[in-house]
Amino acid sequence: MADGATARMMQTDTVVDFDVALIERARRGDSRAFERLYRDHVGRVHGLCLRMTRNPDLAADCAQDAFIKAWKALPRFEARSSFSTWLHRIAVNTVLEKRRGPANAEIPVEDPTEYEEPVMSFDSPVEEEELEAAIQSLPQGARDALVLCGVYGYEHSEAASMLGIAVGTCKAQLHRARGLLKDRLERGVR
Amino acid sequence: MNLRRVKSIDELAQNVPPPRDLWPAISAAIEAEKAAQAPGAQRRPRWLPAAGMAAAIALVAVGVFIGRSLGPVKFIETAGTREAAANVLPAALRDANYRKERDVLLVEVQHKLNDMPAAERTKVAASLATLRRSIGEIEAALGSDPANALLQELLVNSCQEEMRALTAVRDSGNQET
Repeated sequence: MADGATARMMQTDTVVDFDVALIERARRGDSRAFERLYRDHVGRVHGLCLRMTRNPDLAADCAQDAFIKAWKALPRFEARSSFSTWLHRIAVNTVLEKRRGPANAEIPVEDPTEYEEPVMSFDSPVEEEELEAAIQSLPQGARDALVLCGVYGYEHSEAASMLGIAVGTCKAQLHRARGLLKDRLERGVR
Repeated sequence: MNLRRVKSIDELAQNVPPPRDLWPAISAAIEAEKAAQAPGAQRRPRWLPAAGMAAAIALVAVGVFIGRSLGPVKFIETAGTREAAANVLPAALRDANYRKERDVLLVEVQHKLNDMPAAERTKVAASLATLRRSIGEIEAALGSDPANALLQELLVNSCQEEMRALTAVRDSGNQET
């Protein structure tokens, strides 16, 4: 994984340690502890849902459902894994459930290693709003891979598992997303 | 989103707060979940649906009366209305077996009510009375408009609901213990 993403995962691990006590209290039925967890994580969960759905109302619904499902599933959460990753997995599942039709079309991959690429950077700074619009314009499968791997720093294996696709497909989708994104930013999305 | 400039995609903000606070709805769902899992939740009295049925039928009856009062035909209940209604009851409700079965149920329910704690007895009796009153009102309306198919269907459905409610009350003690 690239440096930036690694650094963020380390930040996440620190949060996980802090979360342990809250998770234990929430598991015992303490909804105030769960509210603390909600306040700490809702921004990231909602951001993920918003980028995957491109629909503010649907994204809020998905985030809300994800936290309700998380509360119900807390007894099954294994504390040794990251709460944040677990929560994101639930959020991704919720988004996929709400989508109609096939979630992510499989892309034939001849050699997945050819798609190993560093974090996508730009020659000159891009306006955040312009970049978000370009991401929103991507096809669903490519966008999902880009959001999970590029924006949220997940490994291909983690993102593929969340999306229910092969690792090779995830790599191919990300490769496709990068190409499309670069092209759209050069042309100007809006 | 804002006009901030970024040099790589991983510089995009991961945190995007939702437009509204989602916690109240999540909290409500959690409380509902807790209530459903509480030990007392499984011990809901079996007669409770009777209260729900009574309320539902009362609502329908009120709806029918509102509808009728807005229509061109004014209904005024007279002493002869109930007798007239008895003559226009749907065939299913004039069936001797149905009447006999209902009479037996009423006796059994009365025994059950006598054995109930006072507070519970009051609630159940009030629910059954509401149910009965609603049926009476539909019968009376049918007396003035005997050919009304909607009222006939409503009456049959309401009587079926009444039988279910009476059966639920009669069987309540048998299943709870």
